[in-house]
Amino acid sequence: MAEAPFAVLGLYPTAQALTDAVPKLKLAGFDGLEAYTPYPIHRLDEVLGLKKTPLGFLVLGMGLVGTASALGLEWFADAVDYPFIVGGKALFSWQAFVPVMFEVTVLFATFTAGLAMLFVLNKLPFFGHPVLASKSIAAITCDRFALSIERGEGGEKPIDVAAARRALEATGAESVEVVGDPAAADTTGAYAPFTPRDAVKAALMIAVACAVAGAGMYAAVKVVLTVPPITHIQNQPKLNAQRASTFFADGSGMRLPVAGTVARGHLPYPFKSPEEAEAALANPLPRTAAVLEKGRREYADHCGVCHGSIGNGEPSLSSAYGGKPANLVSATFRGYSDARLYHVITVGKNAMPSYAADLAEDERWAVVHYLRALQRSQNARDEDVR
Amino acid sequence: MSATGSAGKLLGAAALVGLCGAAATYLVETPTRFWTNYLIWFLFLLTVGLGTLFMVALEYLVGSVWSVPVRRVPERLASFTLVAGPLALFGLLSLKVIYPWTQAGAAANPVLAGKAVWLNVPFFAARVVLCLCLWAASYWLLVGGSFKQDQTRDPAITVRSKRFAPFFMAIFAYSVTVVAFDWISSLEPEWYSDIFGVYLFAGSFIAGLAASVLALFYLVGKGRLREVRSDHYYNLGGLLFGFTIFWSYIGFAQYMLIWYANMPEEVSWYRLRVQGDWAPVALILAAVHFVIPFFALVSSRAKNDPTRLKRVAVLALFAHLLDLYWMVYPTLGRGPMPGWPELSFALLFLGGGLLWARQSMGHGADLPVGDPFLKQGLEFRL
Ligand code: HEC
Repeated sequence: MAEAPFAVLGLYPTAQALTDAVPKLKLAGFDGLEAYTPYPIHRLDEVLGLKKTPLGFLVLGMGLVGTASALGLEWFADAVDYPFIVGGKALFSWQAFVPVMFEVTVLFATFTAGLAMLFVLNKLPFFGHPVLASKSIAAITCDRFALSIERGEGGEKPIDVAAARRALEATGAESVEVVGDPAAADTTGAYAPFTPRDAVKAALMIAVACAVAGAGMYAAVKVVLTVPPITHIQNQPKLNAQRASTFFADGSGMRLPVAGTVARGHLPYPFKSPEEAEAALANPLPRTAAVLEKGRREYADHCGVCHGSIGNGEPSLSSAYGGKPANLVSATFRGYSDARLYHVITVGKNAMPSYAADLAEDERWAVVHYLRALQRSQNARDEDVR
Repeated sequence: MSATGSAGKLLGAAALVGLCGAAATYLVETPTRFWTNYLIWFLFLLTVGLGTLFMVALEYLVGSVWSVPVRRVPERLASFTLVAGPLALFGLLSLKVIYPWTQAGAAANPVLAGKAVWLNVPFFAARVVLCLCLWAASYWLLVGGSFKQDQTRDPAITVRSKRFAPFFMAIFAYSVTVVAFDWISSLEPEWYSDIFGVYLFAGSFIAGLAASVLALFYLVGKGRLREVRSDHYYNLGGLLFGFTIFWSYIGFAQYMLIWYANMPEEVSWYRLRVQGDWAPVALILAAVHFVIPFFALVSSRAKNDPTRLKRVAVLALFAHLLDLYWMVYPTLGRGPMPGWPELSFALLFLGGGLLWARQSMGHGADLPVGDPFLKQGLEFRL
């Protein structure tokens, strides 16, 4: 037995005409109405009596999930996992988190709207819908509004084609087409559904297009942009650290100091123990504002991360850093001589690395002066305030 | 329509009681308290007027047709910009009382001395008068023209309004900024925020929209404006929803930047308003100006549900009032709890304002019958 046609479809000239036709058709006893329009028509779903779309709730729900995820991530990262004070703000500063929360909300919401609409509600990927193969589809995607009386999902309700045609025409349809008519399909070939095979073909074509585009991009960047005269971007007379170089005879880009020379401020340091250093060294710098300022700068750059900005051994990083930095303002170190402090900076101690490579000699001595200032500031006497 | 009838009498009585209370505030309490309350309510009526005038001009500017059938409502409410005229002139008397830059020590303060070019009484008064003239002229051109069109049916008036609309936007941007900087932000003249004018604009537009929604449903309840359909409601609801978010965006942008930079002269304004006594008010403001209306209007069905729209509109007007209260009142140095003077002012201005709004609903025809786009606007569908 021949299958019944999928639908009888009428084309209306305006959205208004379509909306007006719906109740009349319903009154005439046709249900299973579907509309196909070039653009969304507000409230058409209500008129057609379609199920209320859950999209709004999905979007709102996922948007709120986005808000919560962003807040959770920022809270965990900034206040729990890596507590680090930025700009003097509290670890959990919701004010600073809001822009990210806002962006992630929008991200989640828009992705949900797009993807849920396509894949959940519109059931993509789907292989062919009879209306896509109709003759009317060209008009529907341009400027006509279609209303179709459909067989329904399981085909349980065969359509009375003649009655449907009459009803559509009576409500103002300009033209009426019988869609998915198996009898007509053989003769006209109008009914050509999109099959899984077509999907594979399309996927292959997309893959080829991607490959071509990728190769094109690669060629553009790597070949076209580097043909003369643009090659100067790549070929610059420069040496990269730890890279080979053909410029020097030994093939190495990095140079050793000339034999027998020392860098300014980095004289070889002969003392093995603090006692040796104390016997030989004294702070050569005067205690001037300029020296203290230099010491303050170097201390902040090199020492504060571990010893804390006031030298008490409790920096903001202490929980993340395993070692126990010394409390430099304690009585022990107030008792240290300048030379002994200098010695620690130069050779390091246990978990504390040597700063000989980072600080020149006068910088180290300046830090020592500054340490004294810190010690004094944390152990001020009454006279100091007068 | 006359303002008689029992509701009218009630409003009149409320205004009268409020007037006595306001006078008592001046005599029994302090003049500062009187003027601070006065300023809040003057700004409330003014911003409703400006917001509705902006709605009218916006329609001409962007050439929207859906709003033509409802335009008479904001046009009538825009008359609050005219009411604001005498109120502003009377308000000039407050300059010597509540504005620090008029006080004796101001010249010694280097910041105020630097701003004295702008913040001095004659120039302030000149700006007020200039703004009033600009608003009156705009009202006369846009709203007056529209009323005249009821009789003449002359499409040239629409053309003139469309030509004028872009200029109005410039006038509006200038005058709203001046209102925000002069009347509000100069209460703490050492503070400044570039975005403050936009913040006030966002609040004003919401106030204008909310007032229009309420007036529209007031007329619909009286059996008038039946031609306006749910499609029109939907757009009003959409605008209200959108500008709720806009206000929050601007408000938060201003707050976050100031909080982040943490500059003493900027952050003092917020210290006063989001910490201590005023912290609960700031939270309530965020709830009623953003969170509640946002969730109340987010669904598409809510945007043309008359009951929902009316409730949100009442809430939005309250939120705008609270916003003004929160901006202005802390400078008084009192906590946020209102007392009898605040209630008196509320009675006076709500009673008076509603009376004015009620009688303004009789101006002209309910639909702008002379507008060439009216038919299209009535046929508007989403
Ligand atoms: C990577 C972290 C770190 C940095 C950076 C650092 N220190 Fe230390 N420092 C330590 C630790 C850990 C100790 C404790 C070593 C021990 O006693 O085992 C210490 C100990 C010291 C001592 C006491 C040594 C002793 O004899 O007990 C001095 C003095 C000192 N540091 C000075 C400095 C100065 C000055 C700087 C900057 C140039 C500096 N530190 C930078 C980690 C650091």
